[in-house]
Amino acid sequence: MILAVVLGGQFLLAAVAPVLTWWLGRNAGYVLAVGYLTGAGMLLSQRPALLADEAIILNWPWLPSLGISAELRMDALSLIFALLVLGVGAFVMAYCPRYLSPGSRHTRVYVTMTLFAGAMLGLVLADDLLLLFVFWELASILSFVLIGQDGRSQARGPAIQALVVTTTGGVALLVAVVVLIASFGTSDLHLILADPGRLATGPAWAAGALVIFAAITKSAQVPFHFWLPGAMVALTPVSAYLHAATLVKAGIYLLMRFSALFGGRWPWDLTLIGLGLLTAIVGAVLALRQHDLKALLAYSTVSQLGLLVSVIGVGTPASDAAAILYTIAHALFKATLFMLVGIIDRQAGSRDIRALSGLRRSMPITVTLTVLAAMSLAGLPPTIGFVGKEAIFEALVTVDDVPLLGWVAAGLAVLAATLTFAYAARLVHGVLSGPTRQRELHEPAWSFLAPAAVAALLATALGPVVALLSPMVERAASDARPQGPAPYLAFWHGFTPALGLSALTVLLGTLLFWYRRRTDPVLAAIPTTPPFTGYLERWRRALVRFGAVVARPAQVTAPAPYLARPLLAVVALAAVAALLLGPLPTRHPDATRPGDWLVLVLLLVTLAGLVTTRSALAAVALTGAVGLILAVWFLTAGAPDVALTLMLVEVLTTVVVMLALRGRPGRLVAPGRRVGIVAGIGLAVLAGVVATAATAALTGRRDLSPAGDWYLREASSATGGQNLVNTILVDVRALDTLGEAVVLAVVAVGLIGLARPAGAVPNPPDAVRHAVDPVLELAYRVLAPVMLVASAVLFLRGHQELGGGFIAALLAGTAVGLGHLAHPAGAPLLGRLRGAPLLTVGLLLALVAGLVPLAGGLAFLAPVKFPLPGVGSVSSALLFDLGVYLMVLALVVAAVRRLDSAPAGPAPGPVRERVR
Amino acid sequence: MSGPLIVGVLVAAGVFLLLRPGQLRLVLGFVLLGHAVNVLLLAAGGLHRREPPVDGGGAESADPLPQAFILTAIVITFGITVYLLRLLRRASRRGSRPPETWDGGPR
Repeated sequence: MILAVVLGGQFLLAAVAPVLTWWLGRNAGYVLAVGYLTGAGMLLSQRPALLADEAIILNWPWLPSLGISAELRMDALSLIFALLVLGVGAFVMAYCPRYLSPGSRHTRVYVTMTLFAGAMLGLVLADDLLLLFVFWELASILSFVLIGQDGRSQARGPAIQALVVTTTGGVALLVAVVVLIASFGTSDLHLILADPGRLATGPAWAAGALVIFAAITKSAQVPFHFWLPGAMVALTPVSAYLHAATLVKAGIYLLMRFSALFGGRWPWDLTLIGLGLLTAIVGAVLALRQHDLKALLAYSTVSQLGLLVSVIGVGTPASDAAAILYTIAHALFKATLFMLVGIIDRQAGSRDIRALSGLRRSMPITVTLTVLAAMSLAGLPPTIGFVGKEAIFEALVTVDDVPLLGWVAAGLAVLAATLTFAYAARLVHGVLSGPTRQRELHEPAWSFLAPAAVAALLATALGPVVALLSPMVERAASDARPQGPAPYLAFWHGFTPALGLSALTVLLGTLLFWYRRRTDPVLAAIPTTPPFTGYLERWRRALVRFGAVVARPAQVTAPAPYLARPLLAVVALAAVAALLLGPLPTRHPDATRPGDWLVLVLLLVTLAGLVTTRSALAAVALTGAVGLILAVWFLTAGAPDVALTLMLVEVLTTVVVMLALRGRPGRLVAPGRRVGIVAGIGLAVLAGVVATAATAALTGRRDLSPAGDWYLREASSATGGQNLVNTILVDVRALDTLGEAVVLAVVAVGLIGLARPAGAVPNPPDAVRHAVDPVLELAYRVLAPVMLVASAVLFLRGHQELGGGFIAALLAGTAVGLGHLAHPAGAPLLGRLRGAPLLTVGLLLALVAGLVPLAGGLAFLAPVKFPLPGVGSVSSALLFDLGVYLMVLALVVAAVRRLDSAPAGPAPGPVRERVR
Repeated sequence: MSGPLIVGVLVAAGVFLLLRPGQLRLVLGFVLLGHAVNVLLLAAGGLHRREPPVDGGGAESADPLPQAFILTAIVITFGITVYLLRLLRRASRRGSRPPETWDGGPR
């Protein structure tokens, strides 16, 4: 439960962050920091249980049909990473308020960083492979957003590069997840990790390679190390948090988690050791030649992560403990260094080593803290960095897969550490030495310095008392790989080989720093980015171009090329279906009546006229005729409700189209070139044949459906209505109807919203605008009342006989349309109707009718009978039908008002209405 | 066979109108396709029972479920037609300029 609270709390914090920034401005970071610390404290309170080798588990069935549950599980390893996420997060959040300038967009920074912390927390707590993957990808995407945060053009390239690299790794992780689920038959992470023996060699190779690939992309290992320095265009707090302490540690976490599964197999171990040490050295060399402090720290991160990866490959209890300890150490001192560099950058206006000079006089506290953190980086006592590096040397010496490999590995690690010492010395030298050039410089406000100061002191003080961390680190090491107890962590181990290596590192590092003038030209000759960064970029551009080529056929302006392709696809689909179709049941012999043929002939004649005519008026009229013919056919086919609805809709459609066509050319555009016509005829005939064949094959081959049978027998007694079609609409399948009515409502809203007049249509002269056709006017006067009464009658009796909300509303809508034709300036009475209020009332009525039964413990939209004096009783279905009625009417009103292409003169009513 | 043939001729005419230039033809083509689908739905219920489905309609009563579907489908087709008309008018009111084209090349 506590896991859900902490994880949910993190996302809740992200949700309230906008409120906090609105209220407190940039100081919202302090509140967020308290939130982070609260979460960390809650997790830490579970420490006794974890030390007793229990795990905190939360299981919530997520996709039960797929056997996937949102399972969270916290053991000591997860706890340590979660504490890093929340703890360093709290430091950075407390650092943000003074770093961000008052006028900048803090909300986005705070929200995205807090969301990111939630994603990282989910990643380290997830106990389901798919959940782990989801959080992994979420972290990648949020990192992309944070790098490209302020939308500067120089941030776009690195952001895209980071996204491409890390999501490529994400795809690899997904495939690995699929392989593992296929091999184990479960996605439960701890079940999989508990049983490494079940993994066959083939899948183990594949999954192991993919996991390594995912981890090294995320942790910026060679050859994917280039994205991390690029990501340094992000804000400094973002760099401190994502690209030093957390995001890049996701890869380390992944490797540690999966060492239980793959560790001990030599390809895994040797790959990690080799790749890690290579990265450690390459990163350190590149760091040594940087002048920009942030870039130096970025390459330093690459290098240190390499050291961690190599230690994970060793695979002894001691090495796992070393890796965990150094992960903590690195997160602490690297985040500190980033924060301090940010402070120096802010105060001195530069973070270039060559431009900084003599800060020790103007900013003594900042410089002291920087030195402390740099000592941790360089592995000098008494810092936690020293303890961690000693542990790493000790672990690497013990490698024995190949004779002497241990000493080679330790030697390479010493080389990396020597380089690290040298660039740490450069960093310190840069901020310490030199004459004071900027006399006006001063210490930052204590509130700016405090988070970095606490972190720096913590990183230093934890060294001598490292034994405090020992129980938890040991527990985490055996959680990562259950293979016996890890050695006790201590500050002082006596005179061990590792101490000798540390001393050697310091000696060589000092020499390297001392002779920096001689080494500089050599370093400067090394290319910073490997050549395939260019290949990657070229490949990405080629992919984008390819996408453009694929999409080109869709980038045409005429509808025909768009529509031809799906139509061809339908034809192709039908051909495939025809080949695969098995024997069919026989057709019902009695399905055709003599009258049908008459209908067919009438249809053919009308359609022939429709496709050949050049007159717009004729086309509209003929389409209406098609609808009326079909309405007659529906009547003979036993569907009077459908027939009546269709008839009304045809009338309305004709009215609306005529309104839309007023004042526009009466002739349709030319049918186009002969080739196009022939192709159109060909496709049309094909589509017609396919439709006929499909209808013939798939309908009319069985008796009444079970559902239809049920309705015929039961619906009437179940609902109290006689007209079964209407009972289906308002009782049995009312939820469907509500959905459909909402579709209509959306259309109406669209009409109202789209109708911002462009003013491009010249208004006709006043005489024309106010002209009222006497015949239409008379028709409106006589017919409208009749139509409205008929509409009311149709509505009220709809439940028992022919009628219902849809039909009644269409009839009333026809009256509205007639009124508009007769009085373009606004018909008396009906011309005052407006779409929006009708829509609102209709939707509310339908919802109320749905919610009322809930109060009585019935289902949503279940019909309830109310006593009504004089009538007997009335069903809540009638209320629902009224809602539908109003929504349909609203659509018609909106259509009539918005589609009239000859805007009328001053309408009766407020001016506001005219503008809308 | 009358049901399938009605569907077929409606689809053929609708498709032909869709593929011709002109906005009004496009709208009318969609209307015809809507009709075709409605007939298809009714045919799916079985055209051998042709009595209106009211209570106590007896053995010849048609299946009421497809009719309910068609009823809403007709009204929604009307909504879509109206919306299409509105969109087309808006496009034409902005002048005869074709919609903005995208050259598709990399930026």
